[in-house]
Amino acid sequence: MKKLTLLLLSFLLLCAALPAIAGEVPLISKDELKAQLDSGNVVILDVRSGRDWSSSEFKIKGAVQAPGSDIAKWSKDYTKDQPLVLYCA
Amino acid sequence: MRHSFLLSFALGAGWLLSPEALVIGGNTAGNMGWLAIASLAGAALLLSISGNLLNPSQRAAEHDNNYRLLRYMTGTLPAIGLTLASSIPLVILAATALLVTSGYTFNEVFLYWFPNFGFSFLLLALLTLLQFFPEKIIFRTQICFVLLTAGALLFLALSGIAGTEPPVYEVLEQPGSFSSASSVLMLLLFTGSTSGVKPKHPCLVPIAGLVIFSLWILASLCYVNPERLASSTIPYMTVARTIMGEPGRQIMGVAIISGTCGAITGLMFMCRVMLAEVATVHNGNNLLSATIQRWVFPLLVALATGILMAGGLAGDELLETFLRGALILWLIHHSLLCLSAILTNYRAHQTVPPAGAMTTALFIAAVFILIVTNPQRNEITFFILSMLGTGGLIPAIWIVINKITGTRTTTQQTEKTL
Repeated sequence: MKKLTLLLLSFLLLCAALPAIAGEVPLISKDELKAQLDSGNVVILDVRSGRDWSSSEFKIKGAVQAPGSDIAKWSKDYTKDQPLVLYCA
Repeated sequence: MRHSFLLSFALGAGWLLSPEALVIGGNTAGNMGWLAIASLAGAALLLSISGNLLNPSQRAAEHDNNYRLLRYMTGTLPAIGLTLASSIPLVILAATALLVTSGYTFNEVFLYWFPNFGFSFLLLALLTLLQFFPEKIIFRTQICFVLLTAGALLFLALSGIAGTEPPVYEVLEQPGSFSSASSVLMLLLFTGSTSGVKPKHPCLVPIAGLVIFSLWILASLCYVNPERLASSTIPYMTVARTIMGEPGRQIMGVAIISGTCGAITGLMFMCRVMLAEVATVHNGNNLLSATIQRWVFPLLVALATGILMAGGLAGDELLETFLRGALILWLIHHSLLCLSAILTNYRAHQTVPPAGAMTTALFIAAVFILIVTNPQRNEITFFILSMLGTGGLIPAIWIVINKITGTRTTTQQTEKTL
């Protein structure tokens, strides 16, 4: 039983560490985004949905909710040359 | 198990002080204005009456446990099915939802660099670990969780009410609008409030809940306009920030995280009590079932919660639908328990307690209102039926296996002896 408990706790802690070892994703800083916002042609997409979205206090004003699971649907709404900024936290 | 007054409150008020209950309370306050407090008082009254009705000290000795009482009315299979369906999905889904909320709160209020998902898993691991400590430590920790949450909410609410402009009486003069759909939601605040409460204190959690939530709703209405309260997904944070700015957010952050811990530990205890009641009737709560309840059950709940979180249920609207379904299942279970208590009372004394009968009828009506008025009523109905089916299927398979192998269960032996 102790081994089982340790195994499960290790699994949960591994899951806790997963975000830290996530792959490299091109990032944009807050200041860079602010500068682009002034240009007016950037689209900000909040890819969170469900409780991930509803539990968060921080939502960028003017951002469009575009859940990651529905990418096939919403990606058609934008042209390829349009700068899209996606955020999830 | 000796339960002090404080422990009865801590075990019964876990869900009541959870972030989810604060969202229900905040949205209802937004929809109904000060009438939300009247609805809350009504819900607290109904829960107090049902607490008295289900008080083991007022029942016949043969119905000393809730499962036995339920079985008296529904029979063995439905009683086991309903007991399992109203407890296990609730603790797993509530843990998934609340841990995600706590993860975001920790990330956004305390440490921006700490991943919210990471915090959710870390908290799940710690709460699972807590379950393996002696019961005394679990109970003391639960008291700390609940008192910390209640203290933080009361501090924010009283600070807000003391310094409000316009004065509170002006807020109370504004008209409220009654909504049956919103008012029955208040019953869900008291989910699990009857578990673990000493028979001496059947009204403790409803009264404490009424006081804490009334003050919180009053403060919310004084500071945030009702439309915003009704539509917000985190009304508690909006209110805390408006009352006290950044310190208010931090106090609320503590309340959310400790409230999550209190709710999960409280619901886990509720589940263990319900499973123990079934085990006591069927196999005398032997060593195997005691081991399952004490050690295997928390592991299974943690594993299921971890899988649901890692599988992305938190990002799916289905989580809200399933969680609402699980809360309604608890209310169905509670309603049927009350009905069964009335029936046994009628058999024994040929009288029906009028307040108890009225309360039970209102609980059953509330179940229908909660299902019918929900936009996801089809999904909720499907969830409830499938959980009841699954809950009934497990003991049915167990009975069939026993019949095939010719093994006599302790229950069968006991029944034959009797």
